[in-house]
Amino acid sequence: MESGTTSPLSVSIDFQTSHLFFPHIINWTIGLLFVLVLVFRVVPFLKKVKRGERALPFIGESMDGFRFVGTLVLLVAYFYLMSVVGDYFPYTGYGFLFTSIGFLFLMSLLYMHTRTKRKIIVAGINALLAPALAWVVFAKLFYITLP
Amino acid sequence: MMDVLSSLDITFFLLTALGALVGIIFGAIPGMTATMAVAVCLPLTYALGLEHGLALLLGLYVGGISGGMVPAVLLNIPGTPSSITTTFDGYPMAQRGEGERALRICIVASLVGGLISAVVLFWFAPMLAEFSIKFSYVEKFLIILLALSVIASMSSNMLVGLFSGAIGIWLSLIGTYSLSDGGNGKTRLMFDFMEPYLFEGFSLLPVLIGIFGISTVLIEAERGISGGLKGTNVEVSKEKRFSLSVFKGGITNLVRSSFIGTFVGMLPGVGGSAASVLAYTQEKNLSRDSSQMGKGAPQGLIASESSNNALTGGALIPLLSLGIPGDSTTAVLIGAFTLQGIQVGPLFIPENQDTWYVMMAALVFANFVMFFLMFYAIKHIAKVVLVPKYILFPIIVMMCVIGAYAINYGIMFDVWTLLIFGIIGYIIQKIGLEVAPLIIGFILGGSAEVYFVKSLESFGTYSIFFTKSPIAVVLWGLIAASIALSAFIGFKSRKRGMRNVS
Repeated sequence: MESGTTSPLSVSIDFQTSHLFFPHIINWTIGLLFVLVLVFRVVPFLKKVKRGERALPFIGESMDGFRFVGTLVLLVAYFYLMSVVGDYFPYTGYGFLFTSIGFLFLMSLLYMHTRTKRKIIVAGINALLAPALAWVVFAKLFYITLP
Repeated sequence: MMDVLSSLDITFFLLTALGALVGIIFGAIPGMTATMAVAVCLPLTYALGLEHGLALLLGLYVGGISGGMVPAVLLNIPGTPSSITTTFDGYPMAQRGEGERALRICIVASLVGGLISAVVLFWFAPMLAEFSIKFSYVEKFLIILLALSVIASMSSNMLVGLFSGAIGIWLSLIGTYSLSDGGNGKTRLMFDFMEPYLFEGFSLLPVLIGIFGISTVLIEAERGISGGLKGTNVEVSKEKRFSLSVFKGGITNLVRSSFIGTFVGMLPGVGGSAASVLAYTQEKNLSRDSSQMGKGAPQGLIASESSNNALTGGALIPLLSLGIPGDSTTAVLIGAFTLQGIQVGPLFIPENQDTWYVMMAALVFANFVMFFLMFYAIKHIAKVVLVPKYILFPIIVMMCVIGAYAINYGIMFDVWTLLIFGIIGYIIQKIGLEVAPLIIGFILGGSAEVYFVKSLESFGTYSIFFTKSPIAVVLWGLIAASIALSAFIGFKSRKRGMRNVS
């Protein structure tokens, strides 16, 4: 490898900064690919949008905003409350159990299109049984940590 | 050998059967895939030993891939992407009142496909592993580069595929350059306040569960959660009875399609739909009489289902011999292996002979369970297609949470990772990026860095990647070939598109 030190391809990596060596290359690769994607994909796509052949994602598409935003809100509340409630009952998994029951029921209600009495009862039974079963199997039978 | 037999206890077979059953159910429900089945059921394996965990996971995998045939035949909706070609002939047959016959043809074809691919796996994976054991860091890095270029070239657009793969690698680099891999233990690609959460980067499994579980729920929510398939008819009619004589004259088709499925499965990151489409078009081109295909011909079903079930064995080959997942389901399996303390790679099979035989037993047994469950209980299984999503989705989210939280013995940040990557998965699918290359990039990014930096540290020149060994040169040839092929295909389809427009 004696010629290696003088050739243009030679490289030496300083151990102190070696954690940045590969990420630098990836950053440049992503940057380069992004420009290429921009030129070959995004610009032609925007032209089509201008001619009215295609719709912009997110903005131009019709979406069920209520269910989508509702899902996000429920998820955040579920994850957050789980740890809050869990802190009141450490090492029991109750945080998981109680918040899951509420979450399952609300999400079922959110996703129903027509809310008949029968459907709501079924969703309620499901919301009680499914987390309870999961809690028994995981926390009690398998000793798996739950919030 | 005795050890192997002793681990094949009754629990082992029960778990495989349970896995296959749950997998079939997941596969049969449109919008839910085998990948999701494995991801959602992962927490069940935390408490199981290695052999039992594998039994459950392989059952889920086989069941999940084959379950997709049910709605494909009965409702004209592919339950999993790989069943797309099953709808071409299955649905017309069901409409003629031959639903049961069509399904049973599919089931037999699936069994044959699964078994042929298992044989290829058993024979080929140890060979490939033995070959790749001699690889140094240089060749290992090139293998990863090859895997990524193949994935990218199989994407709908190579540029987008490469870009997605690069983003996956970037995401995997967040955190420390691990001391145990010979790094300097410093963090990068993040701000100081993130350090308590992201010191070791994102955990693999919450990332996978988020991308495959939560983002699916988000996408469906945005579409307003279709009201289910209530009122649709899923009666399995049997005006014409099934008999094995359908396969007379179709043996070549069956074997050819199985091998196509196995081979496509071996290519990293290539989804199941590629395998079945390829097998289907081959049958159309090569068979003596293809005039009925698309109107309800058994030969189309045979091609489609034998090839998509053959994926299972094929996709396990690069996973077990090189540590590179063959599709998104095996990507989740890699996480499950890590969980059990197993490092998949060239040394896996030689060092874990017993586990290897147990896996093969589980794979073969799962295929038979799938066959018997579907062949005799198909009428009842068909009904799960009707379970409403407002019951199903909340349960899925709950299972995702258990899986993410318990993976590192109770870290709340892993649950938030679920949400972060659920949203990332949603956004990348909305703006048209590709999930498969991103995931494979994420899984392989860490090793790619270590191999790349170590190679340069020990040889001190970039030219080593070309001059290390003849294998390195061959690997570069393959990389060039995969890129050239995809450029050629892209060019051809654009030309065809232009002609269609004019």
